[in-house]
Amino acid sequence: MAFLELNHVGVGFGPSNRRTEVLVNVNLAVEENEFVAIIGFSGSGKSTLINLLAGLQVPDTGKVLMAGELVREPGPERGIVFQNYSLLPWLSVTENIELAVKSVFPDQTKAERAAHVARYIAMVNLAPAAAKKPGELSGGMRQRVSLARTLSMQPEVLLLDEPLSALDALTRANLQDEITRIWEQDRRTVVLITNDVDEALLLADRVIPLTMGPGATLATSFAVTLDRPRDRTALNHDAGFKHLKAEITNYLLGLNREAQALRVTTPLAMPNVLPADFSTGARQLPRAITRRQLAEANAIHNAKDDSSSA
Amino acid sequence: MKYKILKGLDIAGLQVFDPVVRLCYGEEPAVQIKKISQFIVVPTLTFLLFLLFWDFAGPRHTTKSGEVPTPAVVVDAARGVWVFHQRETIKGEDLLRSGEDRLTALAAVDARLAALTPLAATSAEELKAVEAEARAHLIDTTADLNAAYRAKRLEYRDAANARAAALKTQAALLVENGTADRTALLTAVEADKMATARENAEIQTLRDQRSALENAKYPPLISARQKSNALAEELQFLRKRRDFLTAENRELMLVDANAKLAELQTDLASATDASAAVTAANAIEQQRETIATLASASYSKPWTLPAQIDRSVRCVIIGFLVASALAIPIGILCGLSPIFMAAMTPLISLFKPVSPIVWLPIIFIIVGGFIPDPSNSAVLRFIDYIPGLSGMDVNPAFIASALTVTMCSLWPTLVNTALGVASIDKDHLNVARVLRLGFVAQLFKIVIPSALPLMFTGLRISLGVGWMVLIAGELLSSSEGIGKFVWDMFNNGSSQTFAQMFVVVFVVGIIGLLFDRIMIVLQRLVSFDGAPTAI
Repeated sequence: MAFLELNHVGVGFGPSNRRTEVLVNVNLAVEENEFVAIIGFSGSGKSTLINLLAGLQVPDTGKVLMAGELVREPGPERGIVFQNYSLLPWLSVTENIELAVKSVFPDQTKAERAAHVARYIAMVNLAPAAAKKPGELSGGMRQRVSLARTLSMQPEVLLLDEPLSALDALTRANLQDEITRIWEQDRRTVVLITNDVDEALLLADRVIPLTMGPGATLATSFAVTLDRPRDRTALNHDAGFKHLKAEITNYLLGLNREAQALRVTTPLAMPNVLPADFSTGARQLPRAITRRQLAEANAIHNAKDDSSSA
Repeated sequence: MKYKILKGLDIAGLQVFDPVVRLCYGEEPAVQIKKISQFIVVPTLTFLLFLLFWDFAGPRHTTKSGEVPTPAVVVDAARGVWVFHQRETIKGEDLLRSGEDRLTALAAVDARLAALTPLAATSAEELKAVEAEARAHLIDTTADLNAAYRAKRLEYRDAANARAAALKTQAALLVENGTADRTALLTAVEADKMATARENAEIQTLRDQRSALENAKYPPLISARQKSNALAEELQFLRKRRDFLTAENRELMLVDANAKLAELQTDLASATDASAAVTAANAIEQQRETIATLASASYSKPWTLPAQIDRSVRCVIIGFLVASALAIPIGILCGLSPIFMAAMTPLISLFKPVSPIVWLPIIFIIVGGFIPDPSNSAVLRFIDYIPGLSGMDVNPAFIASALTVTMCSLWPTLVNTALGVASIDKDHLNVARVLRLGFVAQLFKIVIPSALPLMFTGLRISLGVGWMVLIAGELLSSSEGIGKFVWDMFNNGSSQTFAQMFVVVFVVGIIGLLFDRIMIVLQRLVSFDGAPTAI
C-alpha cells in the first residue's frame, strides 16, 4: 500500500443544478520517500489537489489516506509550503520558524529549540537574515524561510504548492538546487505542484500531469529515471531528459484544446529582417530567404505537428 | 547618530523636522531648504495669516461680553490663568509650612510687601493723575462738540418757540376771521412737527458723537489701571500669604490649640467639684477633636484651569480605557464569529449614532443609582484605590462623564477591531491550522497581531472622539474639568472670561493633538506593515 493515497477523489462547488466539478475521480499513490511532481495548467485544480493532501480541504467524494489512515484535518506531519509564502509579517525569520517548532515540539527546552531553529535557518542559508522581518526580505528569501519553517516541523510528507512560481528565473534555479540538496540529505516523501516541466524533471522521481479543468483528473505518470544527482546544465544535453521533456510537453499541449486552437498551423511568410552588415564598409543588404528555404522550413514544422498529434 | 535622530523623528511622527536635521548635517542643502520652506515655513505663514485676520476681525465685533478678544488679549488671559493657579498653589503650601521653612517664606513675603507697598501707593497716585488727565483730555476733545451742541440746542429751542408763537397767531386769526383756510393751519402744524423731528435728530447725532468720544478708550488710562490692578492683586495675595504664614498657619494654630488643651487639662486636674470636672473633661474632649480636624486641615483651593485640565485628562483616559476594555474583546469576537457579528450588528448600528448629550443624563442617573450617598459610598472608596485616581475626589459627575466618553468612543475601536480580525489573511489561518495551534495560541499569535494596526487606528479615532465628548460631558454634568471651566466662564460673561474661553480652545486643541501623536507613535510601534500615518 502506498504511503499517501487519493482514492477516487472528487471536489466541486456550486449548487447541484449548476455544479462545477474541479477534480473528478482523482487517484494518486505516492510511495514513501518518493518525489512526485504534479504538473498542470493554471486553473486546472492543482492547488485544490494539494489542499486535499494537506487536509486543508475535505473531498466531496472519495478518500485521502496517509499511511492507511484517513486524513481529516491539516497537521504538522504533512508540511505544506504555500505558493505565497504565508509568513507572519510581524514575526522575524527566527520567530516565524520558532512558532512552528514550538507547536510541533512543545517539549523541547529553550536551548534545544534555539538550536533546532538555527539548524533549519542554516539549512536554507539564511543565517545572516535571521533577525529580519519578512517585509525586509526578497521573494526568494521569503520562500526559503517558508521552506525552512515547513522543514523544521520535520513532516513525513512535504507538500510544495508551486513554491517557486512567483520567483524570477535565477532565484528559481537557485532554490531548485537547494530543494534538491535538502532532499538528497534528508529523503522524505514530497509532492511538488508545478507548471514548469524542467523543474518537475529536475526534481522528481515521477511526473504526473493533471488534465485540464473543470473536471480535471490525474493522467498516467511518467517515471523519471534520470540519475541523481542531476545537473541542470548536463541535463540539457541528456537525450533521456530531452525525450521525456518533449513527451510531457506534447502530452500537456495535446490536452489543451485551447492551446491547440492557438497553435499556428499555417506558416506565415516572415518579412526579411536580417540585420544589415556594416562591418564590410559597403552597405550590403543580406540575401533574402529563398522560397525554397521557406518551403523546407514549413515541411519540417508540419512533420512535427503530425508526430505530436499522432 | 544622524539616522538615529531621523528614526526617532519618524517614529514620533515628527517627520516635519526631518529636513532640519538633514540640513544640520549638510545633506543636500538645496533640497532640504526647499522641503523646509514647504513643510515648515508655509504652515507657519498660514498660522501667522490666521493670527493677523483674527487680530483684525476680533475687535470689530462687539458682544455683551465686550469685543472678541485679540490674540494678545488671549495670551494675557492665559498668563492670568497661570498666575492665578500658581498663587493658589503657593497659598495652599503656605498654610502647611512649618518651622524654619515658614519663617523663610514669611521673611520673603514681608520683603516683597515692603517693596510693593510704596509702589502700589505711587501707582495709585499715578492712576489718579492719569484719570484727571483723561478727564481733561475728554473735556478738551469734546469742548468743540459741546459748544456746538449747546448752541444748537439753544438755537432750536428758540426756533421751536418762534414756530409755536407763529402757530398760535395763525390759529387766533382763524378763530377771529372764521373763514380763513383751515388747511393752511394743518400744513403749518405738520411743518412744525417735521422741523422739530429734524432738529431733534440733529441734536441726537451730536449727542452720540459726544458719547462716542466719552466712551473712547484712553490707552494711558487703561494701562495705568491695569498696572494698579495688578499691584493691588499681588498685594492682596501677599497679605493672604502673610495670614497663612502667621495667624492662620496650621502649625501655629496647632500650637495654640495644644496650649489650650494643656490649660484644660490643668483645669481638670485642679477641679474640685464634680460638675466642674465633667465640664473640663467635655472641653478636653472637644479640644482634642478640634486638634484632630486642624491637623488634617488644608487650604480648600478653588479649582484652577491647570487642575481642571489634569482632572479632564484623567477622566478621558479612564473613559477611554474602559471603552477599549469593552470594545477590543467584543470586536475580536465579532471578527471571529459571523454569528456573533450578526447578533451585535443591530446594537452597534443603533447605539453608535447616539449623541453624548443623550447618553450623559441617562448615565448620570444610572450612576447615581449605584452611589446613593456620595459622602459614604463603597464604590467611590473603591475607586479611590485605583492608581491615578486616588485623591482625585472622584464624584458621580466624574464617573458619568467618564462613562459617557466610554459610550461614545467605544464604536470606532469596536468596528475597526472587528474589521481587522475579519480580514486576516486566509493563508495565515491555514498556517495555524497546519500547526494545529489551539484557540488561545491562534488568538495571540495570529489573530491579534494581524489585527493590531487596524485596532490602533480605531483606538486613535476613539481617543479623539472621547476627548471631544468629554468637554461637552463635563459642561453638562458640571464635573470639574475643562468643560466646567468653559461653562463657568460663559456664565461669568465678562470680557476677561471671554478671553479665557479662547485660552481653552488652544488648551483643548493642543492636548487633543498630543493624544493623537501618542497614538500615532503607539500605532507605528505595533504595526508591521509600515503603514503610513496621517498628519
